[in-house]
Amino acid sequence: MSKLTLAIPSKGRLMEQTTDMFARAGLVVRKVGHVRGYRGEIDGLPGVDVAYVSSGEIAAALKAGSVHLGITGEDLIRESISDATTRIRFLQKLGFGFADVIVAVPTCWVDVATVQDLEEIALPFRQLHGRWPRVATKYGNLTRRFFANKGFGDYRIIESAGATEGAPAAGTAELIVDITTTGETLRANGLKILDDGVILKSQANLCASNAAAWTPELEKICSELAAKLSQSVPEKKPSRS
Amino acid sequence: MPAETAQNIEALASQAQTLMSVFTKAGYDAVAPSIIQPADVFLDVIGESLRARTYVFTDQDGAELCLRPDITVPTCRLHLERYADFPATPARYCYNGPAFRYQPQGATASHPREFRQAGIERFGDHAREAAEAETVSIVVKAIEKVGLKEWTVRLGDLGLFSSVLDAAGVSPNWKKRLDDAFLKPLSFRDALKAFASGARVASTGIPEELLASLQRDDWEKSEAAVAVYLEENAIELLGTRTLSDITEHLIVIAEDRQEKPLDARAIELIARYVEVSGPATTAGDRIASLLKGAANGAGIALETYDRRLALLANAGVDLERVTFSAEFGRTLAYYSGLVFEVNSACLDAKSPIANGGRYDGLMRAAGANIEVPAVGAAIHSERLLAATLKGAQ
Repeated sequence: MSKLTLAIPSKGRLMEQTTDMFARAGLVVRKVGHVRGYRGEIDGLPGVDVAYVSSGEIAAALKAGSVHLGITGEDLIRESISDATTRIRFLQKLGFGFADVIVAVPTCWVDVATVQDLEEIALPFRQLHGRWPRVATKYGNLTRRFFANKGFGDYRIIESAGATEGAPAAGTAELIVDITTTGETLRANGLKILDDGVILKSQANLCASNAAAWTPELEKICSELAAKLSQSVPEKKPSRS
Repeated sequence: MPAETAQNIEALASQAQTLMSVFTKAGYDAVAPSIIQPADVFLDVIGESLRARTYVFTDQDGAELCLRPDITVPTCRLHLERYADFPATPARYCYNGPAFRYQPQGATASHPREFRQAGIERFGDHAREAAEAETVSIVVKAIEKVGLKEWTVRLGDLGLFSSVLDAAGVSPNWKKRLDDAFLKPLSFRDALKAFASGARVASTGIPEELLASLQRDDWEKSEAAVAVYLEENAIELLGTRTLSDITEHLIVIAEDRQEKPLDARAIELIARYVEVSGPATTAGDRIASLLKGAANGAGIALETYDRRLALLANAGVDLERVTFSAEFGRTLAYYSGLVFEVNSACLDAKSPIANGGRYDGLMRAAGANIEVPAVGAAIHSERLLAATLKGAQ
């Protein structure tokens, strides 16, 4: 019988939190073979094959259907899969990995509180500085979709690999789209979130791929796993400051 | 219809030959602009939304390039290379070649990711309506020559909206706001409703007391007030926008707050104009009756409209098959005046066989030192072939 493949983050806090959550649900995830290997299994759920995948690649694996299930942030899924709702089923919010994808501008822009205000300053900015305002982000697709829905198009995206919050002060972009949990890093970098600038309130999710090969047996194991995990989701999510 | 079969390649090639012969006989020079284009011009003109529909890539030197999503912008660039110093030199071009669009829902027969466009572009012609009517009539002639008998033309006119505003007697500030709002179909009705109570919805995030202290005729004091506000609130000035940029926008906001609400009769007229849709000749009558009571009379708005229709009829276009819709064209990337599309009953309405219009701002965006009158159209070859084959059955 073929097994259900579950992709979980291969390192970092997401991996620790995933392991903790499984433990609370009475599921012990163990690596198989070499300690530095990338395969694992779950005690008590012999039908499940665990694949340790870097969190950035879990969305791609789900999209391609090379894994049945994956644990990753909704932000990463929605960023890398444009028609996520048809390709992916969000089975269970897991109560960790909270991150809001937000639009932030310099706090000194006291004249800008909403996307509408951004739109107003775009043309004068171009006339004075010779280009559209630049948005530093690694969430190019989410940014485009969000602004397109608001009818805003006069900006340019600058791909940012890291330290996005520093881009406005460094002069490499005028504003950013990034994730935040407490807003602390934003404040430290002299940035504020727009009043209508929350693009997505994300957290880790148990996701199923519609592209993977499913059988009734695999569906059954999947339901069993989702049911166990749902019991160990914390009641309340921490509030964002 | 995939073009990758021998039969289709031949059918498309023979169709292209027919189209190009109509274009060149009408005095359009055949050109073949590059397929790979710098992404910059497209991104500047169309905006970031372009990336969602275009194959943009980076080459080994880090230059941002794209597979051309249309051939209009490449033709503008080609014209600029020929006439860098005198971009307004009159010229007429025609072309036939592939264009590329990413299809988020997957490529289909009517929305392929690689398709052929055959089109015409005309620059530097100041006889505006004549150039527009000729463009429409040549496209109609070309598709008839290919063998498509069933077609309809839908017209829109972004310039007419502005003229209606002039007729309604709205102030220049209001005109600018309304022109901007018109280009956003999703929120236009709400915006119009909001304008009845003022120029700007109070934004809670902007400090009121600071706004109240600003005055355009005392710029230095205003800028100083903004500086003091930042200092008192321990806000560091960072980034590209200067204190002066921020002050200027705050003053615009303050002025908007002072502005009297948009006149109720103007709102009524605009709301009714936007709803106008139907046969082009009766739509003209409808607009005329709307403008009868307008503050400044009908003015030039309708003259242009009527002259264009008369020119179309003279050029042999059957006006019975021409409709007008005031809403049409708002979301099309770079058009600035007349817009049109040719449809066939053989295809669904979302798959026009040809479209085009006036785009006076594009040449400047592509690097010209002045604005150059421009009008053009492109035929979607695969759709034309499909419609012609269906029509022949």
